[in-house]
Amino acid sequence: MGEVIVITSGKGGVGKTTTTANIGTALALEGKKVVLVDADIGLRNLDIVLGLENRIVYDLVDVIEKTCRLKQALVRDKRFEGLYLLPAAQTRDKNAVSPEQMQQLCEELKQEFDYVLIDCPAGIEQGFKNAVAGADKAIIVTVPEVSAVRDADRIIGLLASSELPDPKLVINRVRTDMVKRGDMINIDDTLDILGIDLIGVVPDDEKIIVSSNRGEPVVAETSSPAGKAFRNIAKRILGENIPYHELEVEETFMERLRKLFSSRKSTRSL
Amino acid sequence: MTEKPVLFKGTRNGLSIYTDSKADISAIKGALEKKLQESRHFFNGTTVNLIFTGRVFSEQEQQDLIEISSRYITVGSFEFKGPESQPVQDDHRAVDPFESFNGSEEGMTRFIRGTVRNGQRILYNGNIVILGDVNPGAEIIAEGNILILGTIRGMAHAGAAGDTKAVVAAFCLQPTQLRIAGCIARAPEGEAEKPQYPEIAYIKNNQLVIEPYLPGKGK
Repeated sequence: MGEVIVITSGKGGVGKTTTTANIGTALALEGKKVVLVDADIGLRNLDIVLGLENRIVYDLVDVIEKTCRLKQALVRDKRFEGLYLLPAAQTRDKNAVSPEQMQQLCEELKQEFDYVLIDCPAGIEQGFKNAVAGADKAIIVTVPEVSAVRDADRIIGLLASSELPDPKLVINRVRTDMVKRGDMINIDDTLDILGIDLIGVVPDDEKIIVSSNRGEPVVAETSSPAGKAFRNIAKRILGENIPYHELEVEETFMERLRKLFSSRKSTRSL
Repeated sequence: MTEKPVLFKGTRNGLSIYTDSKADISAIKGALEKKLQESRHFFNGTTVNLIFTGRVFSEQEQQDLIEISSRYITVGSFEFKGPESQPVQDDHRAVDPFESFNGSEEGMTRFIRGTVRNGQRILYNGNIVILGDVNPGAEIIAEGNILILGTIRGMAHAGAAGDTKAVVAAFCLQPTQLRIAGCIARAPEGEAEKPQYPEIAYIKNNQLVIEPYLPGKGK
C-alpha cells in the first residue's frame, strides 16, 4: 500500500509543480513506483514541466467520469523507470471533480504505486479541497517572502482542520548570497513562525527555468544545486537522515571576523 | 426604553430576547435575523434556549421567529413571556456572576493549546489564554483579558464589549494591531526591535500603553 502526499502552498508561483515533478522523478530514480497527479484542472502545467504534454490521451476527469479506465489515462515516462503522470483536464474546471471522487481515486492509485504525489492548485477553494481530500501527508512549498510565508501559515491551519497535521516544509528559491547579506528572510525565522518540520531547502537555480521549459526534471542533472536539493528531499521522504548542507553559507575569513565583532557589540548593548 | 427593536441578553436559563412592543413585526424579524447572523459564530454548536419578552406575538409570528432563529442556531426550548417582563439593557453588566461575564477581574476563560494561524479567529465572551503563538493574520477577540504564552504577531482585541480595564499580555508582544475596548494601536513604522521580555498592554488616560511586564510590580 502506497502513500499519498499532497504538495501545496496557498500562494501561486512558488514552485509547487516544479517541486512535484522533481521529487517524483527523484523517487523514481531511487527505484520507487511513483505517480504524479495534476489536480490543477483547467490550468495544467505538470505535463509540460515533465515534457509529457504530447502524450496525453485521457485525463483525470475522464477517469472520474469513467470515460476510460485508470490505466489508460496514466502516461508512462520513458526516461525514468517507474514514473507515471495522471494529467489534469484542460477544458474543464475545478468543479468537475468532488473531494469524495478524489479520495476514491487516491485509494485506487495507492494499491498500484509506492508514492502518489498530488500537485495542488494555488488557492484555498474547491481545487485545494479536492487535492487534499485523499492525501495521507502534506508537503508545503514556500519561498523566503513574507506573503508566501503568510499563505503557507494559512494552509497549515487549513490542513490541520482537514486531518492532515504535521506537514513538512520545503523552502524554495533561497538565494544564498542574499541570505548572507541579511537581505532575505532568514530560514530560522520562517521555521519559527510556521512551527513545522523542514524537509528541504532548495537554492535558487537558473537551471530550473531552463529544464522546466525543456520538460526535463532538473534532478537528472548532477551538476545542478537545486537538483541535488530535490534528490535529498526524496531521500528524506524515504526515511534517510540527510544533513542540511544547503543551509550552509560559505564564509570568508574576513566575514567571520566581522560577524564575531558585530555579535559582541550587540550583546554589550543588551 | 431603547430604540432598538431587538435586544439579546444571556441568562442562566438561556438567551433572553427582548422585543420592542411598539416595533413592527417585520422590523423585529429583520433585527433578529441580523443579530443572529452577527453572533452565529458565538453560538456555534451549542443548543440555545430562547425566551422572548416584550411584545405579544400571534401564533404565526411565533412560528416565524423560531424558524428564523433555527436558521442560525440550534434552538433548544422556547418561551414567549409577553410584555410584563422587564426589558434588558444592552450595556447592562449584571451583578450576578452567573448571569453574564463580569469584565476583566474574574469570569470564564478559554484556553487554546497550540498556534493560532493566519485566517483563524478566536472569539470568546470571557478571558482567552493562548498556550502557543498567534501568527500574522490571526485574530483573537475577547470580552475580557488576553494572555499569550508565546509570541503574538497577529491581532488581539481585549475588552471587545467595551471593558477598558482589560489587558493584553504576551511573552513576546509584536502584534500587527492591538485593540482594547475602543482604543486601537498599531506597531510603529519601520524595523521594530524584537522585545526580549514579556510585555503588557492596557489603557491609561484613554491611551493604549505597552510596558514591560515586571513580576511583582503588577498592573
